[in-house]
Amino acid sequence: MIKDRVGGLIFLLTGFYGLVYSRSLPMGRWNEPGPGAFPFGLAVLLAFSGITIIARAKSKKEENQKGKGWEFLRNLITPLLIVLLTLGFILALEPVGYVTSVMVYLFILFLGICRYKLPLAAGMSVVFALGSWYLFVKVLGVQLPLSFWGI
Amino acid sequence: MDVFGNLIAGFQTALSLHNIYLCFIGCLFGTMVGVLPGIGPLAGISLLIPATYGIDATGAIIMLAGIYYGAMYGGSTTSILMNIPGESASVITCVDGYRMTQKGRGGAALFISAWGSFIGGNLSILGLMILAPLLANFATRFGPPEIFAVLVLAFILLGSLGSGSFFKTMPMILLGMFLGTIGMDPLTGSFRFTHEVKDLYDGIGFVPVAMGAFGFGEILTATEESLVRIIHKVKMRELLPTREELRASWGPIFRGSGLGFLIGILPGSAHVLSSFVSYAVEKKLSSHPEEFGTGRIEGVAGPETANNAATGGAMIPFLGIGIPTGPATAVMMIALMIHGIRPGPLFISEQPQIFWGLIASMYIGNMILLILNLPLVGIFVNLLRIPFRILFPLVLIICLVGTYSVSASTFDLLVLLGSGILGYIFRKLKYDLAPFILALIIGPLLEVSLRQSLMRSAGSFSIFWHSPITLTLFGISSLLFLWNLITTLRPKSTWEKALDEGQDKYK
Repeated sequence: MIKDRVGGLIFLLTGFYGLVYSRSLPMGRWNEPGPGAFPFGLAVLLAFSGITIIARAKSKKEENQKGKGWEFLRNLITPLLIVLLTLGFILALEPVGYVTSVMVYLFILFLGICRYKLPLAAGMSVVFALGSWYLFVKVLGVQLPLSFWGI
Repeated sequence: MDVFGNLIAGFQTALSLHNIYLCFIGCLFGTMVGVLPGIGPLAGISLLIPATYGIDATGAIIMLAGIYYGAMYGGSTTSILMNIPGESASVITCVDGYRMTQKGRGGAALFISAWGSFIGGNLSILGLMILAPLLANFATRFGPPEIFAVLVLAFILLGSLGSGSFFKTMPMILLGMFLGTIGMDPLTGSFRFTHEVKDLYDGIGFVPVAMGAFGFGEILTATEESLVRIIHKVKMRELLPTREELRASWGPIFRGSGLGFLIGILPGSAHVLSSFVSYAVEKKLSSHPEEFGTGRIEGVAGPETANNAATGGAMIPFLGIGIPTGPATAVMMIALMIHGIRPGPLFISEQPQIFWGLIASMYIGNMILLILNLPLVGIFVNLLRIPFRILFPLVLIICLVGTYSVSASTFDLLVLLGSGILGYIFRKLKYDLAPFILALIIGPLLEVSLRQSLMRSAGSFSIFWHSPITLTLFGISSLLFLWNLITTLRPKSTWEKALDEGQDKYK
């Protein structure tokens, strides 16, 4: 089962990372465990769990995976686009300001991912950007980075 | 312990205009969140945490608790009217609830669901207000070895009763505990796994992880699907059940209340488990078990009562000893910690106005929810007409701004994004995220209690079996672990397969 193998690999790699880095921390003694002891123990258990999951996955009957690869990649497109867009928003937030960055963020979301027509996407992004600014800054009192045009 | 006197004082707190308003907002938002598939109660509570910054701790927990039990009411609406569970605890309600709608009895199903939730909710609050102070009193005798033993048992129970196999849930718990070690070591002050990144010195923030994994991650998963919605309309006059339906519902409602309350105390997917167990019990006790699945009112009354009653049960370990046993209570704990309050054995005695104010507000909240979910159910059903394409960008913005508002840190937003990706990946791999979040929050407490115990005993592990409390707790943990080993090796029974399928359907 591919899902189990991937899951097992995540735990194994995390465990491996923990084993390597926790050894650079003081382990202490049994009567005074150091900061490295607990993470080291967790890392050992994580790595062991990962290996167990991968081993059990190998012993299970493989499902028919025909066509599932393409389906998986197709389903990945929208989430991937949202992740990249959100990363852009995060990096632009402080230099450019909240209202400007959220307006662009929403515009690309509504146009590119939600497939609204250009005027509707533009209108909704302006309304929601200004509306959210009002709600968060004026009503809830949240401090957000200012855009070059003052809000 | 003067329960009655404390409850009166609690009502004095809860009946202030400010707290009634917050309770109403929480219940309203919770019902909306329960109705809307794709946004669960966890995401709802996480999204409203930033809104609690400007209010006091009592108001904050009243509002967030309102979302928690409100979502249990709302989740049944889409299950009954559209065969789409609004949240995971309402999966089983689809089976008979939707069939009743197809037969023209959807209104009666909604009524019984709301009525059962009301009864179950109130009975479980009664249990909560009696048992939580008793448990807190008992827990004041706990030292580090007892706390360690309780947490080990809590994690093993979580692995046993969570949605997913024990040997798939435990690695998530270990992963959460491991991530909880990032930052400053609480006992020595040295930095762990920070790689000289200053933003990691205080550890990974709970709010960005919770909002990322549950809010952002849920949206990423939901955008893959397009839901074709056929919404059945319900007229006011069709809301009332027949005498026969009312008579048939009383037994399941009272049995569901007891079952849900007891299961709610246990760590894990209490709401899902309680609804499935209640359905199985009602089917077993029915004189017409073959009719279950064709629109039996018992198949709605029992599960919906049980999942609401589980709310009160789940609050007992959270408020009594400071151990959240589910993701919703874990996120509520984050909200309280932001206000400088950590639930624990001394919480009820040191903050009685918060505890009893919350209890009283839950009684008020259940009344509000009965009104919202019966005559006003049509308003919530219309929420489903809002295109998801408009809703999800707004939820993303709320997640991002909510996280930024905690400490005005772009790093926290990156943690949110990373957690969202992690949440999406684990959902695709069919791993449960709730144990991960729980372990992230209470893992550090487990580590501190272990190290303090060993320091006290000069390195001897015998400290863990000197006390009858720790001996009993470790004994139960060992038996549970063995039981899980045996059940993993043996083939699953029919009801275990049905429970897994129901939980997988909603993951």
